[in-house]
Amino acid sequence: MNQEEVFNKIVTILSKYSKADIAAENITMETSILDDLKINSARLVDIILDFEDEFEIEVDDDDADAVATVSDGVKLIMAKL
Amino acid sequence: MAQNKMTLSWREKSVLRVQNWIGWLSFPIWGSAVIAVMRWQFGYRVDNLAEVRKRYEQIVESATGPVLLCVNHLTKFDSVILNWSLASLWSYFSDFEKFSWNMPERTRYRGHPLYHPLCYLGQCFPIERGGSRDSVKKSMDKVKYLLGKGHIVTLFPEGRRSETGRIDTEGYSYGAGRLINQLENCTAVCVYLRGHNQKGSSSHPPRGARFQVKLDAFQPTSVHKGLRASRDIAAQVIEKMNQMETAYFAACGQ
Repeated sequence: MNQEEVFNKIVTILSKYSKADIAAENITMETSILDDLKINSARLVDIILDFEDEFEIEVDDDDADAVATVSDGVKLIMAKL
Repeated sequence: MAQNKMTLSWREKSVLRVQNWIGWLSFPIWGSAVIAVMRWQFGYRVDNLAEVRKRYEQIVESATGPVLLCVNHLTKFDSVILNWSLASLWSYFSDFEKFSWNMPERTRYRGHPLYHPLCYLGQCFPIERGGSRDSVKKSMDKVKYLLGKGHIVTLFPEGRRSETGRIDTEGYSYGAGRLINQLENCTAVCVYLRGHNQKGSSSHPPRGARFQVKLDAFQPTSVHKGLRASRDIAAQVIEKMNQMETAYFAACGQ
């Protein structure tokens, strides 16, 4: 799976949780999950668990803490695939 | 049980120890003053005080590991009323580890001429809501350090005051679950604290409020690991608190 495919799947997951008035096509690698998408930290855990299910990976607490932007999520997943 | 690396320096641990020591040493003065203000100025009463204190004593004495108080959150006085309810002044002075630490949002008291020193003496350290990951992790590391040293810590598992006045079973934080998951034999003491006329959340309870306090202790566990276990345990704690709330309203005939 390449980076673009991972990014697209992440955007689909994030779109389910985002409370911000932001269209999926406007989400970029630099988008902050907490600030720009207005997702709280508990829902961020749900998102990372969705990453685990979608990409069949395991993410530990410290790795999860490092995810702040879409780019962080992509890098985390690419490193575990 | 998941473990992750603690980042507290020797200096940060010392700051907590000194705060605890100063709080204990001056407790007879500020503790008496706070209780006097609550009882006589605000007219607060706890209906089942003796029963609550006995139950708390039993729970603390029988715990084989860390004790985390998981409390519903309706007013900014919750932790004050909670500590008043759980033990007598003498009991706290003779064993100050029973006086629970608390993590108020920094902006709620910082710089306030009364709240700031009282929060320091009353075993509070700040947390920055929406702060950086490092700052939140630091606060969690302090909690783990204190729990590991036999202190008791209060946490509001909902993550904020309840907007509806009822336990938030949807948007709650997973912080309590994560902590419990990372600690061996952690006892979660779920506390349901509510003034009889408290409809929803407010800055402070109305004058003359009478409170009911209920305690229920258990050791949450999960068949899952990591984040999934944290979420599972957080859900168990919230479910227990929700059951306590349902019982409270059933007893009130509502």
